[in-house]
Amino acid sequence: MFIRMQKKVTLLVAFLLLAVIYAGAQDRTVQGHIKDQQGNALPGVSVAIKNTSRGAMTQADGNYSLQAGPADTLVFSYIGYLSQEVAVGSRATIDITMQDQNKQLNEVVVVGYGTQRKKDITGAVSVVGEKEFASRPNTQLGSVLQGKAAGVQVLSSSGKPSAGLNIRIRGTNSIGASSNPLYVIDGVPTTDTRSLNPADIESVSVLKDAASAAIYGASGANGVVLITTRKGKTGEPRFEFNAYGGYSSVWKRLDVLNASQYRDLMTEMGYITDWNKYNQNTNWQDEVFRKGTSQNYQLSVSGKNDKTTYYLSGGWVQQNGAVRSATMDRFNFKVNLEQKVNNWLTMGTNVAYSRWHDVDVTDNIGVDKGGVLLGALATPPVIGIYNPDGTFTSNPFQDWENPVASTDGAQRGYKQQRLLGNVYAEVYLLPELKFRSNFGIDYNNSVYDYFLDPFRTSYGRAKQGIGQNNTDLVNYWIAENTLSYNKTFGKHTIGALAGVVAQKTKWESASIEKNGFSGGSIPTTNAGSVFVTAQNTKSEKSNASFLGRVNYSFEDKYLLTANFRADASSAFGPDHRWGYFPSVSVGWRISQEEFMKGVTAINDLKLRAGWGLVGNDQLGDRRYAWLGLVGSGSNYPIGGVVLPGNSPSSFENRNLKWEATEQYNVGVDVAVLDSRLSFSADAYVKNTSDLLLNVPVPKSTGFDVSTQNIGKIQNKGLEFLVSSRNFVGEFQWETDFNISFNRNKVVDIVGQDIFNANVANRGSISLAREGEPLGVFYGYVAAGVDPETGNMQYLDKTGKKTFMPAADDRRIIGDPNPDFIYGLTNNFSYKNIHLSIFLQGSQGNDMFNASRIETESMIDPRNQSTAVLRRWKTAGQVTDIPKATPNNSDNSRISTRYVENGSYMRVKSATLSYDLPASLLNRIKLQRLRVYVTGENLFTFTKYTGFDPEVNYLGNSTNATEANTSMGVDFGTYPQTRNLIVGLNVSF
Amino acid sequence: MQARYIVLCVLALSLGACSKFVDLTPISDATTGNAYQSASDAEAALTGAYDAFQQEYYVWDNINFTDVVSDNYYAGGDNPEIFALDLLNLSPVNSRLFNAWSQLYTGIARCNIILQKVPDITDPKLEANNRKEQILGEAAFLRAYHYYQLVKTFGGVPLVLEPATSADPGQTNIPRSTDAEVYTQIIKDLEFALSRLPDAYSDDASVNKARATKGAVNALLAKVYAQKADRDYNKVLEYCNAVISSPAGYQLINYNFLFDGNHYNNDESIMEVQYTGGAEANYGPQLLLPPSLSGDTWRKFVTPSKDLVKAFDDEHDNIRKNTTVLFENVTWTDEYWAIGGGSVPFAYKWKSASGWASTNRQYLFRLGDIILLKAEALNALGRPGDAAVEVNKIRARVSLPGVTATTKEAMQLIIEKERRLELAQEGQRWDDLRRYGRAETVMNGLNEIDLRTNQRVNYNMTKDKELMPIPQLERDRNKQLGQNPGYN
Repeated sequence: MFIRMQKKVTLLVAFLLLAVIYAGAQDRTVQGHIKDQQGNALPGVSVAIKNTSRGAMTQADGNYSLQAGPADTLVFSYIGYLSQEVAVGSRATIDITMQDQNKQLNEVVVVGYGTQRKKDITGAVSVVGEKEFASRPNTQLGSVLQGKAAGVQVLSSSGKPSAGLNIRIRGTNSIGASSNPLYVIDGVPTTDTRSLNPADIESVSVLKDAASAAIYGASGANGVVLITTRKGKTGEPRFEFNAYGGYSSVWKRLDVLNASQYRDLMTEMGYITDWNKYNQNTNWQDEVFRKGTSQNYQLSVSGKNDKTTYYLSGGWVQQNGAVRSATMDRFNFKVNLEQKVNNWLTMGTNVAYSRWHDVDVTDNIGVDKGGVLLGALATPPVIGIYNPDGTFTSNPFQDWENPVASTDGAQRGYKQQRLLGNVYAEVYLLPELKFRSNFGIDYNNSVYDYFLDPFRTSYGRAKQGIGQNNTDLVNYWIAENTLSYNKTFGKHTIGALAGVVAQKTKWESASIEKNGFSGGSIPTTNAGSVFVTAQNTKSEKSNASFLGRVNYSFEDKYLLTANFRADASSAFGPDHRWGYFPSVSVGWRISQEEFMKGVTAINDLKLRAGWGLVGNDQLGDRRYAWLGLVGSGSNYPIGGVVLPGNSPSSFENRNLKWEATEQYNVGVDVAVLDSRLSFSADAYVKNTSDLLLNVPVPKSTGFDVSTQNIGKIQNKGLEFLVSSRNFVGEFQWETDFNISFNRNKVVDIVGQDIFNANVANRGSISLAREGEPLGVFYGYVAAGVDPETGNMQYLDKTGKKTFMPAADDRRIIGDPNPDFIYGLTNNFSYKNIHLSIFLQGSQGNDMFNASRIETESMIDPRNQSTAVLRRWKTAGQVTDIPKATPNNSDNSRISTRYVENGSYMRVKSATLSYDLPASLLNRIKLQRLRVYVTGENLFTFTKYTGFDPEVNYLGNSTNATEANTSMGVDFGTYPQTRNLIVGLNVSF
Repeated sequence: MQARYIVLCVLALSLGACSKFVDLTPISDATTGNAYQSASDAEAALTGAYDAFQQEYYVWDNINFTDVVSDNYYAGGDNPEIFALDLLNLSPVNSRLFNAWSQLYTGIARCNIILQKVPDITDPKLEANNRKEQILGEAAFLRAYHYYQLVKTFGGVPLVLEPATSADPGQTNIPRSTDAEVYTQIIKDLEFALSRLPDAYSDDASVNKARATKGAVNALLAKVYAQKADRDYNKVLEYCNAVISSPAGYQLINYNFLFDGNHYNNDESIMEVQYTGGAEANYGPQLLLPPSLSGDTWRKFVTPSKDLVKAFDDEHDNIRKNTTVLFENVTWTDEYWAIGGGSVPFAYKWKSASGWASTNRQYLFRLGDIILLKAEALNALGRPGDAAVEVNKIRARVSLPGVTATTKEAMQLIIEKERRLELAQEGQRWDDLRRYGRAETVMNGLNEIDLRTNQRVNYNMTKDKELMPIPQLERDRNKQLGQNPGYN
């Protein structure tokens, strides 16, 4: 009843606001409504006319009324809120939203196994809240975090609609084990957030330092991302409908040779053919790139009463990528319910179901292996798409099919259904003693289907069709029982938590592949005649843990948090199963001290310091890493019968144990000028030791690698966050800026060199070596083109020029680690119009443009970029592009020639939105209606010459070593796209 | 209110059962602790050791390392690293060297675990028919076969004779043994195998030609004594004779039958890599066979050289030429045969591609090879007349006139040519040229013209190039590993 009243009043007031009312010079009645930022009416607010003794107080409904003249200024003040002054002018109605003075400080932040007020936090925690979510449309969690939280680096490996995003919190800590953080969705840990619907997220807390993350001991070494989904908040059911649609396109094209330039080059290289047969002029980039589309619809309803809170939502998103055939779509359903059963028992559940479907395109590989992006560059323009018989065309000199054969040749798709949720009960044994039992599951069922018909592609014809069906089932559960105690005794506040956790994952996968199809009409494997593969495998992993935490604060001034977690992992042998992970952090809120009371300019000043140890057992597929495994499948036919064979597949290591990261963190939080300007800085050192490393061993052992605890990595860095409300009032301008500096160093890997990112048969690019940052580029130093011979020269180790450098002439030629990364968000609003501009960038990182090896080498009949028009042709010619050398890659070795500056700054997104005025809304019975337009990747400032600087060839590798040690390599990688989106948010 | 206390009890109980909970055994893999306990375990490990013959090295890289590097074949295809091999532009970073090295040592490791674990297995089935000793003999033979590939390709290599149990560099970084030491170990393994293996396992040829037999051991001993630096042609003769007079009854058969795909495990075969199709199929033929047989239209690998085709033509050796080489019109440019398309020869000893899933095989040993090796031994021992008799057995079956013995030197050249025509594409040519000390003369004497430039190809063959460089990637992993002369 009350709320309905309030709504009517609000609408009325809003309507009145629109009307222009003439105001006379004499005093008249001024009235209005005062509310807080949550929209609740504020009674008892003092409304004074400046420089007079006249004034009034708001009533229980938040309304006030007084007599004032047009020259008067009203001063609104209330304890705990910022005072506001408003000139009356001609207005008869002045509504005010009071800004909570300590809003940021009293904000409740979700931390591991509980919540804390922001002001009590002693560790390093970044929070990304609804404001950031609302500022632009997102389809993935990672894109929400990018550039929004200091110390959090979101590595987009490509621009594919189906691609996940890799997140690094304070650098890469590991080589052989995963460096991805742990995600906890409403208490259920997971590693894959692609299926999560960002529209359901209320807030994200990023636990960056060991002191915050140690409560997740086992998997906290890479930081923890806590995701809380939305709950009902208002008594009235609140419906929200969001929709957007948009276009995406590749923002850059690269220049390649046209038909006649290609013919000239081929003729020069000795490739001769009857060109009359190859007289097309196809622009392969036009064929492969298209206008991508996206659409997204979300509907939710939420509400709350004394006993029950609920949130229900459903949504559908579809993206057709800017590269031919790439697509994804996702359905989401979400139910969050909580019921107070009686005065000591609360039960609840959070359940999310999603159905994901995508069609991937082959990237990160050359045209000879069906790579689409390199195919678009390296396929000569002289051929069309199809031969007269409907088959795909190939390069005139080699059977490399055109890229459309790769995008359109195979029917393929990945489907995933996922149920992630929990049920929980909270029992108050005493008012201050709570027992919580939580049981969560993540059930994930996926199917990949592939069919290549036996006609249209060369490979399909050779195999007489290929049909594949792969299924994966991942079944995870977690059971947690915790006891927590919170009590304040005078000036002492104590919190304590103790609990046990058990979790287990079972993976089951099956695959079928058949060849020998009679036709193209039946895409399933039953139509094939020859089995290539038909098998299934299963594996498991389990963890058991005990955890404990104590919080103590004295007068809100001196704060202490101590954690302890003991973890057992099935990945390690019986002697090394348990790892112990303590942490402690302290805080001092100087601003609460007596001597600071007089300093009114400073609203908050807090120093934080912490130390802790966290572990890592994320060995990926190596779930029984400590055991020497003997794999099956080494079968061999003897006597005409295939006999079952096995062979050793991994080294045993009984001493394998937890990788541990020790981290120190100090930080300061400052809020000044009525908390309009706030600033945080953190400095950290992370030392990871006992690295879980797949150490390459001599192949003469019969093995490739051995998993060992070897070596140390260090990350140290600085993070700064500035948040400023530059203008408040009618015109509002807020600025958030964060910048992070991380320095990574491989301290010790027992003298090993770990190479990765082998491209184009030229050898490896990425190197992990002691004393260097992870993933430096390794190769030859190019010394220009010899004007006499036209061949590429390189420097040998003595600095002399040579055409034939030796392997040990290679050296470090680039570093893909940025000096710093940053994000800058500016939000402007004037009346109902809002503009949000988000800039994001990375500075000081090198890129290895391996695509240019494919497009500038002139060793085979690939089409090349227009750079080769500068190629050496006659003796004495001075140029930067060597001569064409068919079948010889000496001129295109891995060298400084391909290392480019990868720094970039881009307008990641800009959103202009308009809220319909209340008067109109009232007429159409809506609470809110916002329309917006968003541009993503609108402008990119970079010297990088490839399609896009924000790509990584091995970024999505499931091989942790590859993903951790190879960065900044572009090898025909699907680029980031420029997107334009128009959307609508409605609530009623 | 009692519910509260039930909850407390649950919490207390859950504290207990942890250590069992995290003790998991692999579901889909065996472990070194449980994989070697019974006779069937021993057989599975042995099958795994034979499976090493289906790795890429034995599918077709051995052809690249012997026929393509020699005067027999061009690289063909589109792989710069194989072009480099063909042109004798050998670099330690060539990844095919590292793959070959890795695969051969993978095969060796599978033998080492058998030789270590099987003696300790007690299972009555292993005692029956001396099976345990046979298994050890088969493993020893296979290990010798892989080491022979290594030593003839790279020279002395690290001798690893036991399974690696520790990744400690002190134990894994093993320096190279000398070439002589490796040959000594090979001979030791082969003598061990010879005393344990039967002439035949049964009357089923598809078993006897799949598994190591006395015949295979004798054949490898003959080749080893011929190829090692301090060669012993008396031994070569002894072991060749042991093969020829084997109770297994090896006989020359119609030359066409050897390669027509319809006569697997024939009487001439001493041992061959087994392929039966499906999951146990050979993808090699797809890489080599022309569009009419492979179904696709890309440029194929291992292209017969002008010099090889000329050698067949000069000898009027039509039967073997037609079985070894197939000409077909193509659209692509072949820099030696046809600029802008035209008639190009294809390696044709495999006949069916079957969509990357052929049953065509490579012979590990066949009698024709051993007879010519015997001729070589006889000639080396000063009996060119007897040598001619052996050569003529081989010539007679392909309807070529007999040769007559003249001098030992002339006879040597006759044998060399005969082996070339008989054994092209069978992974022998490079070993022959080096054994005869003729690699430099032959390669530097070639007159192969690159039609794109109309320049004669200069192969720059040197003594150093007789050995391949030790793969750089392995040297990065094993700091004790030295490089061969002439490479850096």
